[in-house]
Amino acid sequence: MKTFKISILLFILSTGFAHAQFSKAELQVSGLTCALCSKATEKSLKTLPFISDIKTDLLHNIFILTFKNGEAINFDLISKKVQDAGFFVNSLKTTFNFDGVKLSSNTFSYGADTFRLMNAVDKPLTGEVAITIVDKGFAPKSVSKKYLNQTTDVAPANGGRIYHAVI
Amino acid sequence: MMKHLLLAIGLMAMACPAFSQELYVNTEPASNMATNSLGIRLESQGFFNPGYKNRTTFELMYGASKNLMVHSSLYISDYYENQQHFEGGSVYAKYRFLSVDSVQKHFRGAFFAKLSSINNPIVNQEITLEGDNSGLQSGVVFTQLLHKLALSGSASYLHAWDNAGNNHIPVGNARDAIAYTLSTGYLLLPAQYKSYDQTNLNLYAEFLGKTNPGYGQSYLDVAPAVQLIFNSLVRLDFSYRVPLYSTMQRNTAHMYLIRLEYNLFNL
Repeated sequence: MKTFKISILLFILSTGFAHAQFSKAELQVSGLTCALCSKATEKSLKTLPFISDIKTDLLHNIFILTFKNGEAINFDLISKKVQDAGFFVNSLKTTFNFDGVKLSSNTFSYGADTFRLMNAVDKPLTGEVAITIVDKGFAPKSVSKKYLNQTTDVAPANGGRIYHAVI
Repeated sequence: MMKHLLLAIGLMAMACPAFSQELYVNTEPASNMATNSLGIRLESQGFFNPGYKNRTTFELMYGASKNLMVHSSLYISDYYENQQHFEGGSVYAKYRFLSVDSVQKHFRGAFFAKLSSINNPIVNQEITLEGDNSGLQSGVVFTQLLHKLALSGSASYLHAWDNAGNNHIPVGNARDAIAYTLSTGYLLLPAQYKSYDQTNLNLYAEFLGKTNPGYGQSYLDVAPAVQLIFNSLVRLDFSYRVPLYSTMQRNTAHMYLIRLEYNLFNL
């Protein structure tokens, strides 16, 4: 019975760990005006090892990115690839599975990185929730300013970075 | 003149059904190619009067960084001889210094410079670095998407040197020129833009002007252009220049242009 309980606990922990990841993102790029531009952006994004699939909505300049299971997602690289292609990220809305993730004072850890939720979360988060990153390079300047002016946090000592997001 | 120009722009703005396009045929927009992508161009330009003459240009374009792109071109023509011969080459660089972007809308500014070395005799009054003159051109270009109108304007200064092969600029010819351009374009097809495989049909109207200050020589051409883009990779351009007015002896009046471009991404 004890072993059973432990294995249940391990199962919950392991699934919790496995679930605590980003599965996909909706990326809207600003400034795109031509087929060659969108194609160049998509090809640039495709070089990222953690992206498994890209679907495009050319009418709205939206790229639906599917992330590889278990791979660490580097959002800064996504922004860099878009800028390398000559454009900017207008919005990045990514889906995170909060099962087994503990939110402490509106922050949670992901690898070495920390995510801070900038709007009040009044109930515990479970399952898949879409969060929108509002840092510089992920949103129009005015939006970044609006949220980042509220915060004075410093980068963590472990070398990771703090992303700021809203739900 | 100005009235017609404004009217033409106004009509294009109203007629524009979907997206504006800024892959201009006769000019460069302020936007650059993606980093590490390469464009390969093969181009034929020419005129039919007096007698058919044509020039072939081979051009490579490379996105060096998100803000810098470079071109290099080689020229072959029978403009100044009875048979085709190699005329020389040019290099071009463009640096984007301004980007104000939002979704399907942007304003960009860039500096550009072009350097050419050409071995032809100099018989025309126009200074061009596209195979006719050795010289330096530098200028600024701004591109704006206004609602559904893609508008791009540039102004530049040209200075010509004596051409290679002991070909001097004739006494009485200008060595300096001012060039200015205004380009507009829009996506005609597809009406509903869904996939990269759809062939794009783009229409352009470009105004190309030059003046030799102090010499009373100037011109303004209108250059309508049609562009097809296949698989978002291969680009085919057609254009024909017609002078609105011209008091400058040159080859470029009534000049046709056919260009094939192939793009390689993520080298």
